Amino acid sequence: MINVKNLTKIYKVYRKTGNLLTDIFFRKYENILALDKVSFSIGENELVGFIGPNGAGKTTTLKILSGVLFPTSGYVSVLGFFPFKKKEAFLKQISFVMGQRNQLVFDLPAIDTFLLNKEIYEIDDHLFKKNLQKLTAIFSAEKLIQKPVKMLSLGERMKMEFIAALLHQPKIVFLDEPTIGLDIFSQEAIRGFIKNYQKEFQATIILTSHYLEDVKRLAKRLIIINQGKILYDGSLASVLQKFSHIKYITLILEKELKKEILLKIGKPVAYQFPKVVFQIEKKDLSNVIAYINDKIPYVDLVIEDEKIEAIIKNLFKNHK
Amino acid sequence: MFKKFKRNLKIFLLFSYHSLKTAGQSRQAMVFFTLGKVLRFLFLFGIIFLVFSKTKIVAGWSLRQVIILYLTFNLIDTFTQILYREVYRFRPLVLSGNLDLILVKPYHPFLKILVGGADFLDLILFFPYFFLLLFFIFQENISLFSFLWYLVLLINGLIIATAFHIGVLALGLLTAEVDNAIMIYRDLLNLGRFPIEIYQQTIAFIFTFIIPVGIMITFPVKALFNFLSFKNIILAFFLSFFFLLLSIKLWRLGLKKYQSAGG
Repeated sequence: MINVKNLTKIYKVYRKTGNLLTDIFFRKYENILALDKVSFSIGENELVGFIGPNGAGKTTTLKILSGVLFPTSGYVSVLGFFPFKKKEAFLKQISFVMGQRNQLVFDLPAIDTFLLNKEIYEIDDHLFKKNLQKLTAIFSAEKLIQKPVKMLSLGERMKMEFIAALLHQPKIVFLDEPTIGLDIFSQEAIRGFIKNYQKEFQATIILTSHYLEDVKRLAKRLIIINQGKILYDGSLASVLQKFSHIKYITLILEKELKKEILLKIGKPVAYQFPKVVFQIEKKDLSNVIAYINDKIPYVDLVIEDEKIEAIIKNLFKNHK
Repeated sequence: MFKKFKRNLKIFLLFSYHSLKTAGQSRQAMVFFTLGKVLRFLFLFGIIFLVFSKTKIVAGWSLRQVIILYLTFNLIDTFTQILYREVYRFRPLVLSGNLDLILVKPYHPFLKILVGGADFLDLILFFPYFFLLLFFIFQENISLFSFLWYLVLLINGLIIATAFHIGVLALGLLTAEVDNAIMIYRDLLNLGRFPIEIYQQTIAFIFTFIIPVGIMITFPVKALFNFLSFKNIILAFFLSFFFLLLSIKLWRLGLKKYQSAGG
């Protein structure tokens, strides 16, 4: 469905020198490598999470895949089309939702934009009614569609943006930071909507987000990108296996123990009787558990993985 | 082909309907805006009468001919203002990044960014100009043949105006600069209110071949009064075709170089 090979994008950025004459007559430009020979494929009905820090190349990738930007070099094929050619048959099968951009007419109710999209995407009356009903029901937003967009809250507006973008049942949906700036309730509503939509319409969804929670909750596959390069492409679960070498053991102690006994496990990362938390290497886990069972009286024992946020943070730190 | 045209027309009409609904939200602004336009029109009409109260002929043109030229200018200017109003809103669209959401829609982006914001307030003035123009034309002894050339060259002038606006959009993609470019266009077009013969020969040449406001406005009126040679008519068609082609090439280059805001 989506094939990308050695995709490169270089932005030409004007750099001010501070000298007015030079800035006007002899402008200096700098080449910024936004994507550096990126390759990946995405199949039908996949929901892929793209994560990376600001300027990593996430949005640039989405903009090239949707045909907004022209790639500097490399091969891109989406649904068998070269996106930049902007063929009608291609554009009718995709949709793009951007967290801080809007297609809704600000002064008019959202229904006006929906009716416009009905003509743009040539949706027949029956399908339009059916989809509008379904999509508004998922959001419980039946009453909002008649309200002028300028009267809606950010969260409500985002719901309307989603409906406008998905009325034509696109095969591929590009979501760029769709929950940015929203309160936790709206974030939750949007996440639920994306999940329901994919299940109901069997769409392929590519999602970028700063909130790892979005990706954790929605995507089975994760692409981690930094400085224009893909650092990881695989399942969310494998991130732990591949990049995490740490486990956390939390003990609820039965009684206070001598410091030396606890220090034999390692230096606790937190200790306030009766709770003590250790960070240990994965390879030492069985030995440590054996030692605890043998030497330490406890009421409860919990073994946890390193938090995915921490793993990814370390990954970016090490890649700098 | 017809189906595609019908669909594009439908989308255009919906955009225009949205534009009308949006404009209708502030009725006071509508009244003041229209009043301003009427006053501007009357003021310039007054100047023309003032000039001709002192002299009978200006650069070989009679009062009635100058009035027809002035009304032709207003007709072209108003028509482009009605149709291409959205060009004036292009810069915020580029800077906010909302243009990206237009570029991923399955229609030609010109449907939105060029003609997608028809200004109906100008329509109020379009009809008086049109009927006044017809009134003055029928006062003259004009053959049907000359009148047809006038109409064809008027359409040719609108093609040049379209090319100008597409050029401004392309410039917007390349530099995010639209406001100054469109104001330069407006200022240059304003020079076409009067026959290009009133300017020095070098300036008249520039207004004919380099910045073709003369071809847009003076040429149709000259054809109406049989002042225009066939060679110049062919030249007018050639230049409008050239400018349109150039602007479309520039737009395509702009799309390729477009870097989009943010991300």
